[in-house]
Amino acid sequence: MLTERELQISPIVLESVQHNTKTLTTLHNLTASLFGVGAGILGLESYPGFIFYLVFSLLTSALVYAFRVRPAIIKNSISGGKAGAGIERYFMGSMELWTGGLFEGLSGFVLTWTLFYGLVRA
Amino acid sequence: MAQVPVQTIHRDPQLFYWILIPITVVMILTGVLRHYATVLMATAPKKQELPAIKEQRSLLRGVNLRANANVISAPSFQARKDYLVAAYESGAFLKEPDKKGQAAPNPMTDPAAMEGMMGMMKGNMAMIVPQTLIMGWINAFFSGFVIIRLPFPLTIKFKSMLQAGVATKDMDPQWMSSISWYVLCIFGLQSVFNYLLGSDNAASQMQQQMGQMGPGAGAQMFGPGVDPDKQFQAEIENLNVLAHHYTLEGVEDRLLQTVVV
Repeated sequence: MLTERELQISPIVLESVQHNTKTLTTLHNLTASLFGVGAGILGLESYPGFIFYLVFSLLTSALVYAFRVRPAIIKNSISGGKAGAGIERYFMGSMELWTGGLFEGLSGFVLTWTLFYGLVRA
Repeated sequence: MAQVPVQTIHRDPQLFYWILIPITVVMILTGVLRHYATVLMATAPKKQELPAIKEQRSLLRGVNLRANANVISAPSFQARKDYLVAAYESGAFLKEPDKKGQAAPNPMTDPAAMEGMMGMMKGNMAMIVPQTLIMGWINAFFSGFVIIRLPFPLTIKFKSMLQAGVATKDMDPQWMSSISWYVLCIFGLQSVFNYLLGSDNAASQMQQQMGQMGPGAGAQMFGPGVDPDKQFQAEIENLNVLAHHYTLEGVEDRLLQTVVV
């Protein structure tokens, strides 16, 4: 956790954090709908469908972490930034990166899942 | 345990073309229409009198000084604080300095407050009118059709919700009528609108309802019925208890630490 003094020296700009969160939410919303299309075409029912959604949205978060957040943290620590505190520098906390999009995307997932399941299977 | 056979219902494929797709398309287009209607109906904020602006801005100035206190040196912070506190105390920034200490006027008689209520009303109308229209449209044309099956099982309690307008006792609650598809669209189209209209659109009903719960802090701050003198007094207190630490204190040492020889 950052101390108050370190936060003053290298501040975290709230607008940027909000922008990050918004981008992540948009990504999760969009991919959730696409996962619904996938689950519907595969014809998954009940638990497998929800597990499919869970696995793939966690995978999305993991890809964001691996390709965007992690390199930035490494770059920051190489260039001598002392306040390299991990995910807290980019989001409101690590929970937001991993589970933030799960519930927002769920309704979109259910909609497209039902639609494509109905179109393909029923 | 005996396996319950899966219910199959043979439906005309025309149901998709004439019910499912029209409802979905109409829902999306209504959302887009609502977004643009809201954008077009939004009135520009009314011009305020100079003293009113002075009152608001000087309060904001105190807030900003408090938020950014650490980037200025101690003497300049002290000077700004002294000036603001003295002016707040004497009521120099007030819209009506001679009315200091009197009770705030009744918000219902203030014409500026009515303006705000009109705006809220417009937002509500933009939400309620299309909802009623579409609900009536679906009821008139599509009630009583079973169109689609949910891919996950539900308990019997959902039956009355999902199969509104279809009075069949033994049907599995997974089957949905057209009204339920409409309800599902309301909740699920959020991401589509995000994609089509950008993330702060006015299309979604969900967001409208969220927005009503917590209107922005800016509206609250200068809302009608709030005594500005009380706000100034509170700001004086906030400024007085603030502990000031200059960010650039000891910056030479910190710089030298990073220099690797």
